[in-house]
Amino acid sequence: MTRLRLGVALATLVLASALVGPWLMPHDPIRPDYGARYEAPSARHWFGTDGLGRDVLARSLAGGRVSLSIALGATLAALSIGLVAGLAAAAWRGLTDIVLTRAFDALLAFPGFLLVLLLVSALGGGVWQSLLALAVAGSPLYFRLVRAFTQAELKRDYVLAGAALGASRGRLLLRHALPNFVGALAVQAASTAATFVLVEASLSYLGLGVALPTPSWGNVLQDARSYLTRQPWAAVGPGLVLACAALALQFLSDGWRDTLDRRA
Amino acid sequence: MLRLALTQVLSVLVAVVATLTVVFFAVRALPGDAAVILGGLETQTEQVEALRGELGLDLPLSVQYVRYWADLLRGDLGTSLRERRPVGEMLRERLWVTLSLAGLAFSLALVSGLTVGLLAGRRTGTTGDGVALGLTTVGLTLPEFWLGFLLILLFSVQLGWFPLIGLPVEGDLGVRLWHLILPAVTLAVPRAAQIARLARVRLLEEASADYVRTARSKGVSPRALTRHVAANALPGLLPLLALELGGLLTGTIVVEQVFGLPGLGSTLLGAIAARDYPVVQGVAVLAVLVYVLVNWLADVLQMLADPRLRYE
Repeated sequence: MTRLRLGVALATLVLASALVGPWLMPHDPIRPDYGARYEAPSARHWFGTDGLGRDVLARSLAGGRVSLSIALGATLAALSIGLVAGLAAAAWRGLTDIVLTRAFDALLAFPGFLLVLLLVSALGGGVWQSLLALAVAGSPLYFRLVRAFTQAELKRDYVLAGAALGASRGRLLLRHALPNFVGALAVQAASTAATFVLVEASLSYLGLGVALPTPSWGNVLQDARSYLTRQPWAAVGPGLVLACAALALQFLSDGWRDTLDRRA
Repeated sequence: MLRLALTQVLSVLVAVVATLTVVFFAVRALPGDAAVILGGLETQTEQVEALRGELGLDLPLSVQYVRYWADLLRGDLGTSLRERRPVGEMLRERLWVTLSLAGLAFSLALVSGLTVGLLAGRRTGTTGDGVALGLTTVGLTLPEFWLGFLLILLFSVQLGWFPLIGLPVEGDLGVRLWHLILPAVTLAVPRAAQIARLARVRLLEEASADYVRTARSKGVSPRALTRHVAANALPGLLPLLALELGGLLTGTIVVEQVFGLPGLGSTLLGAIAARDYPVVQGVAVLAVLVYVLVNWLADVLQMLADPRLRYE
């Protein structure tokens, strides 16, 4: 229970800072200020300034908006793809099932990060491209989960009873089977979002994801790497916020699972 | 058992062929033109055309695809467009960096992850277990490259114990190993956390099984009980270990970049930037093969360790 509360509190804080933070900041996250380069944290610049004199806190918050949008959007997209395909495979069986299962299995033959890397290179980098690449790479897991859960539910007596009473297949799937495992999907989705936050940061760090000047946690840290020994503060702040975001989502996932387990 | 293993080999082969096909076409779908990039901005159209012919890039894709398989089956990974030398030779030069880094990181992760997981799993509900659980969650969510930054700042800049970046190509093995310690620790932390978390959960699940209660009621010593529980719980870790180990060949990319190591990862990134198709394909082939093989091996090992799985 404590983990769930901690996760909710931390996630709210991170989301709120990314949503509202950039409006409250008096500093521009992109425009250079050559008079204020390499400053240590102070009352004016809480996280210090970077190599171009920009406020590191302002850049962390602005970067969070981009990075979190990609991670959360990609999680939602991966979940949706997996959900639709998984329900279809379990409900229609036969050829649909075989084709879908083979297709998603082929994606699983790649080491996860390599798949994202190749996809994002082929698509050409950027916000939407990163989102799409992560969604495709994340979807097989949800396909497998949804397919297995649905198959198990469809075998149970209440589905037979529902069918005997004349419920349509769509109603049986969406109103009766789905609610029984939607909690487990949510637990997994929070964990996936935590991973995606980290993977998106890695992509942008390698220069393949979101490109400068649009700040994202990854490319802000890539920039900080080039003068790491001269101005460590430029790397400390954004990394801390990034780690907090991933931690919040993982706590959310763990806490959620605990409450579901206790109820079961 | 044998039939099951063979069926798996077959499905693995299908997966590998499908994967390499996807990589072949995906790489050629990369925006940009290898011949133009290779020639530079100043090249004339005729020169680019000549270059394209020389590299075989003017042939229809289907012909290129058949040629690719013919070469691959003879063990030829092709020739780098940029460096004009065999891809196999390039990869062999870089492979040892990535392999030693991955091996070191995996051993670290395995030993520390299992230790923490087993200790925490035996004492659930205690403060120690709570602390271990919290630490593993933090370890799991630390961005790899940022952890690398922190280690560099602390151990290389402040304390001066380790070199800043890079790796000497030649010289004493001990010195070279020294350069790999910080990168290996960086890679090991999230993986150790993952292993510890799963080991703990597996132990907990197994400890609530009926046979454990029966054994305890019959007076089996806690030590002997732990041995039984561990023997049943630990093979369940094999799939995760395989995923981690198999993924390390390309999982090192980010860390190689942070620490300036000349491994497979930096080769792949450079090749993607230069649209050096044969090199991208070469690295992908290697990574996918290792990944699929390690996962298959883990399945077989798990079946050997757990007779229940053989009869499905």
